[in-house]
Amino acid sequence: MLRVADLSLSYGQVPVLEGASLDIDDGQFVSLVGPSGSGKSSLLRAVMGLQKPLAGSVTTELAKRDIGILFQDDALLPWRTARENVALGLGFHGSNRRRAADHADSWLTQLGLSGLGDRYPRQLSGGQRKRVALAQVLALKPRLLLMDEPFASLDAIVRARVTQDLVDLAERERIGVLLVTHDLEEAISLSDVVYLLSQGPRARMSQRYDIPLSRPRKLIATRSDPRFAPLLERLWDDLSREVDRGAAEAA
Amino acid sequence: MERRKYVWLRQFIAFAIIIGLWEAAGRAKLLNPLYAPSPSRIVGALIDLFAGGTIWPHLEATFGAALGGLALGIVVGTVLGIAAALAPFLAELLEPVMIMLNAVPRVVLAPLFVIWLGIGIASKVALSFVLVAVLIFFTVFTGILQVDRRLIERITTLGGGRTALLRHVYLPSIVAWIMGNLKVAVGFAFTGAVVGEFVAASRGLGYLLSFAQSTYNSALMLALVLLIMVFVLVIFALAGRLERHLLRWR
Ligand SMILES: Nc1ncnc2c1ncn2[C@@H]1O[C@H](COP(=O)(O)OP(=O)(O)O)[C@@H](O)[C@H]1O
Ligand SMILES: [Mg+2]
Repeated sequence: MLRVADLSLSYGQVPVLEGASLDIDDGQFVSLVGPSGSGKSSLLRAVMGLQKPLAGSVTTELAKRDIGILFQDDALLPWRTARENVALGLGFHGSNRRRAADHADSWLTQLGLSGLGDRYPRQLSGGQRKRVALAQVLALKPRLLLMDEPFASLDAIVRARVTQDLVDLAERERIGVLLVTHDLEEAISLSDVVYLLSQGPRARMSQRYDIPLSRPRKLIATRSDPRFAPLLERLWDDLSREVDRGAAEAA
Repeated sequence: MERRKYVWLRQFIAFAIIIGLWEAAGRAKLLNPLYAPSPSRIVGALIDLFAGGTIWPHLEATFGAALGGLALGIVVGTVLGIAAALAPFLAELLEPVMIMLNAVPRVVLAPLFVIWLGIGIASKVALSFVLVAVLIFFTVFTGILQVDRRLIERITTLGGGRTALLRHVYLPSIVAWIMGNLKVAVGFAFTGAVVGEFVAASRGLGYLLSFAQSTYNSALMLALVLLIMVFVLVIFALAGRLERHLLRWR
């Protein structure tokens, strides 16, 4: 449903990213990992159309409203309640107030926030705010979700729970996902495919890993799957090699 | 806990003692009543003002000028602030003007406004207006330029356009900044009205002040100062309530 082909991106003379390609099929969960500064966020911004590529292309048959976006530092509107925040996008796409509010409530319930619709963001915990942001995006029924380390600011337990809810929803609604993360275990346990970017600048797509774990997934259980540890080890070795190479080139 | 609880009581007692000493010193003829009239004479002057009903047209004049200048100043300051923030060429024109207006103590414009607009209420409204408008202009202008980028990106990625940005991001932020400066603006508005009246007028608290000054009536003068203080405090309280309501999300 989305294809990135031979993408090169640059902010100055030296390209950040060179000839990167990746594919996402319908309902597929794809993660993008790589050393920091390798251009993961930049690639995602290019996919969203916020960054003009130097070369290459991003093609999709999806309409703009079928693509949902979630960043690490997403902010809710502080002067709108949780319900109003979730209803926001629905309103932009022509829902009337009443319908949007009802819809928002049902999404809040699905994400375990029933009864909190009238609260303002400051009255919610970090995890709850993140769920509201997720509900805000999911309420538009996206077919593809683009996420840049969306849960990095959450503590481990909350993060695990929000992530599991996300996987359940993505599996049930067949939502495709492109997730940028620096957490290799998370990438493996969530994904069908993991891409590894090499050390930047001029980062390339250095590896593509198929993750053969079955669905539906329970994130804790996947980690005790016998196929998990070897995959993690391989990814870890490849990533370490990239980071070492980067350090050697810098020296 | 105990210490904090009775703060108001201790403040009240200290205040009462000072007033009591002041009154006693006055009665013992230790103070020259021409310079420092005793509290009872100040209260007497206040009672005279209200008893004869002479105060009402003056209060009306001052309140009319201050509130008129406040409302106009907020509206015009906001509109110009938004315009300057959204249209860079307007900012180029407006910013230096505002900076110049900000650089002069704006009350020195009072005599000029009297020449331009006469000694009626218009010149007082104008002074209040200039004081408030410049403050609000800078509040709104810098506020818009500092709007949280993440909120703007959020609205656009959810499919919102320009009107959505205005309605959901800019207007609520502007209301928040104005509310944060409302008390200062109220103070400015009254300063403008009273100073304008002091310079040249036939009505208003500022006019009464200048009358009291010319007749060396310091009891009346202090009574007027007290009156202005009380009214501004009442308006502060109202502004505080409005702020708590509009910014309840904080
Ligand atoms: N807006 C920008 N202007 C200039 N350089 C940028 C900008 N954004 C990112 N970069 C540079 O591009 C490279 C890749 O950044 P980024 O995409 O954020 O990497 P990652 O998300 O993998 O950590 C980095 O060297 C970064 O300094
Ligand atoms: Mg990044």
